[in-house]
Amino acid sequence: MTSTETITTASATRTAPPTAAPAEAPRSAAGRRARRLLTGTARATAVPALSCALGIAVWYGVSYVLLSPDRRFLLPPPHDVVAHSFLDPTRIEPMLTALGVTARIAAIGFVCAALIGVGTGALMSQARWIERLLYPYAVMLQVIPVLAIVPLIGLWFGYGSSSRVIVCVMIALFPIITNTHFGLRSVDRGMHELFTLGRSSRGRRLVMLELPAALPSIFTGLRIASGQVVIGAILGDMFFARGEPGIGTLLDGYRATLRSEDLIASILLASAFGIAVFTVFTLVSRLVVGRWHSSGDHR
Amino acid sequence: MLQGVNWRAIASICMHVNTGTRLGQSDPPASITRSEITVHLVDTMHDVDAHHLTKGLQASFDHIGMRYPTGTQALDDVSLTVAEGECVAIVGPSGCGKSTLLRLAAGLEAPSTGSVALGTTSVGFVFQEPNLLPWCSVRRNVGLLAHLAKVPKAEREQRVTAALDAVGLTAFADQLPRALSGGMRMRVSLARALVLRPDMMLLDEPFGALDELTRQDMQGELLRLYESRRFTMLFVTHSVAEAVLLARRVVVMSPRPGRIAATVDIDLPYPRRPEVRFSPRYVEHVAAVADILRGVR
Repeated sequence: MTSTETITTASATRTAPPTAAPAEAPRSAAGRRARRLLTGTARATAVPALSCALGIAVWYGVSYVLLSPDRRFLLPPPHDVVAHSFLDPTRIEPMLTALGVTARIAAIGFVCAALIGVGTGALMSQARWIERLLYPYAVMLQVIPVLAIVPLIGLWFGYGSSSRVIVCVMIALFPIITNTHFGLRSVDRGMHELFTLGRSSRGRRLVMLELPAALPSIFTGLRIASGQVVIGAILGDMFFARGEPGIGTLLDGYRATLRSEDLIASILLASAFGIAVFTVFTLVSRLVVGRWHSSGDHR
Repeated sequence: MLQGVNWRAIASICMHVNTGTRLGQSDPPASITRSEITVHLVDTMHDVDAHHLTKGLQASFDHIGMRYPTGTQALDDVSLTVAEGECVAIVGPSGCGKSTLLRLAAGLEAPSTGSVALGTTSVGFVFQEPNLLPWCSVRRNVGLLAHLAKVPKAEREQRVTAALDAVGLTAFADQLPRALSGGMRMRVSLARALVLRPDMMLLDEPFGALDELTRQDMQGELLRLYESRRFTMLFVTHSVAEAVLLARRVVVMSPRPGRIAATVDIDLPYPRRPEVRFSPRYVEHVAAVADILRGVR
């Protein structure tokens, strides 16, 4: 929290016109700081708001200018989406329920991926031969499109929620493994020598030096993975529709029945969810490592 | 070839001392008003030197050769002994292997030929960078090596408090390293080494990255610690002034492959106050070492 304040204050100072300084001088320092913070916050919210407005304008443009009325169903204008989907309880409620299901699956997948990923990354950093043993599989996981092995997953694990979780894990594992591995590997040599001089055991070196030093990288991996699991969960919904419907299941249904307002509304909902998850992870990362690592200062 | 270099260097020192003028001037020799500076030719140094042996050896490097897998010959036939309680400074141009010598003593590397023997297992090492854990407070950083050495918690805390006090960082005990200046970080690093109460301190250009004033403060502090704790000290630096201020003996190394070009006895008595910098004797020694260094480069 403090870091955000510092940054907004700093940027406000930098951009403030130099002529304004004498006029402000008689005011109290606290007052000035508060004002700067306010203008900083305004600036921080104004630009995203502007970008949002621009996006909606383009959307309207496409709906009304580019598309003739008989083809407008391909991209209904924003107010239609709001009126027909978001404000209609009979439509929005199933979507929210489905989103809840998808979120739960994404969360389970994420926890599994985090445990397996950090574990594998840590294991790989312990010895070269383990790295050589495991890395090809990690890369395989990354390069094979999930869609290609969906039939196999279905055959092996059925078409219910466990297969959805597996898709999530598969899609989220690679960034966690590589970032953990990278973080553990790139600990400063001098620090390692310090532990060598202290005759540290391997376990202590891992717990007291390598893991804490790798935390910023691990969090980068988790942050990327947190976005990936949402994609994985939606994909999983689409292909493994048995059991409670997720937002992906609904999406597929809307596509099949050409309910484009609902389709767009559910896509917006899903992306809002993804953004929320990503933001939460950014905040958690800042909370954990921002105190000592500069990566937590921004973004 | 190296021999020739050494002799030239030594000759120039004699001239310098005798005339009291700048090296290379051809004025006729004036009367000798100051005692001569003792410069030893290396190879005679480590064999038998009664003065050093009486105090017991703390470290001895015996015909050390160091060749890296890349083919670089870092050290070639280096022999050096450090007596208990003695402070020896190693100076030399960059790339002469002086840091390698220290790393060999600490056991961070093994020599290709020759052997290193230490008279103690209690060794403190101070790196060029402070090497602090950025997520740990100053207090925890200072206690790190004691923690690794499994010193019981109560005693560790007591030692940490004492070490923090010794380097004047008590007020910053709970800060994170990022809140400290470069000089303060170096103090933390120094305190961390002191917590183990080492018999021997190995310091690898510890003040190289500091500004001049901070550097002088730290030199004074190290001198004070050395004089009160009487540990043996092997100090690598590229600053001749620093070497002469701290050491009883300054070893000058020649560049690749690293060899000891000469050893200069610094006969300034301990305890040395930082004001010794302004004494003529100190200045003479600095000039003598600097001349040798210029000769080997």
